[in-house]
Amino acid sequence: MDLVLRAVVGFLFVLFLTRVVGRRELSSMQPFDLILLVMIGDLVQQGITQNDFSVTGLVLVGGTVGALTVVVSYASFRFPRLRPLIDGEPVIVVQDGKPVNRNLARNRITEGELAAAARQDRIGSIEDVEWAVLETSGRISFITREHARS
Amino acid sequence: MLLALLTALLLAGLLNVFGQRPQTSTADSETASLKVYSPKSLRSGLFFESRFTIEAHREIENATLVLDPGWLEGMTLNTLEPSPIGETNRDGRIALELGRVPAGTTHRFFLHFQVNPTNVGRREQDVELHDGETPLLRLDRTVTIWP
Repeated sequence: MDLVLRAVVGFLFVLFLTRVVGRRELSSMQPFDLILLVMIGDLVQQGITQNDFSVTGLVLVGGTVGALTVVVSYASFRFPRLRPLIDGEPVIVVQDGKPVNRNLARNRITEGELAAAARQDRIGSIEDVEWAVLETSGRISFITREHARS
Repeated sequence: MLLALLTALLLAGLLNVFGQRPQTSTADSETASLKVYSPKSLRSGLFFESRFTIEAHREIENATLVLDPGWLEGMTLNTLEPSPIGETNRDGRIALELGRVPAGTTHRFFLHFQVNPTNVGRREQDVELHDGETPLLRLDRTVTIWP
């Protein structure tokens, strides 16, 4: 019984933590972010399973996490009002070739990181961008002025 | 269908089928009552505690708990408090002498265990309360250790 309840608390805590840490950090996966994720996984595991070495424990915790993933995904699909809470919302970071500094600051993205993301999409200058959107996945989508017109 | 199966498994977990919530078993006689508060379902690796409460209706000169070997088979006994005044073998079972329990008083005795990872299956954990060599009452219990 305790194991299932602890797994529920662990799942909700990790869900909360990913929302707090921010999508950009989690999607960029710098070495520090990767180590942080491994550390969190290890600490959460200790809190949930404690000294349990059993296969039964593995099945219960794995099952709980799997079932909650389905529940959260269904809730996000069925109740649109929950979507911003569960997945977050897309955020506009460039409009008409100009960075939206307030949104960049809120997501802790520097103009240098924005320019680097644009270059990875073969865009030389932010001024060529009509819209750039920080998606809920943490990736930045760019729509150039050229594409916006066509 | 698969989700329903998973939900049923988790419900069984919540309903304590796979442990480890303790349950109370009770036995009563004219001389004394005995309560054992201990899990009946466990999983390998878990720490757990068993609490024995003896309430003496009449004086017990030498209260002795006689435990089935299943209490210690595949278990690591971390500690037992308060320490018994004697530990003996009684026909293959473990006898723990707790001493005198005056009429109207309660004696609580704790055993702290960890389940060894190789310990799997069902084990008899019957408990008898004796006064010296005289049996006073008996409690039948079984513990299930999930792999």
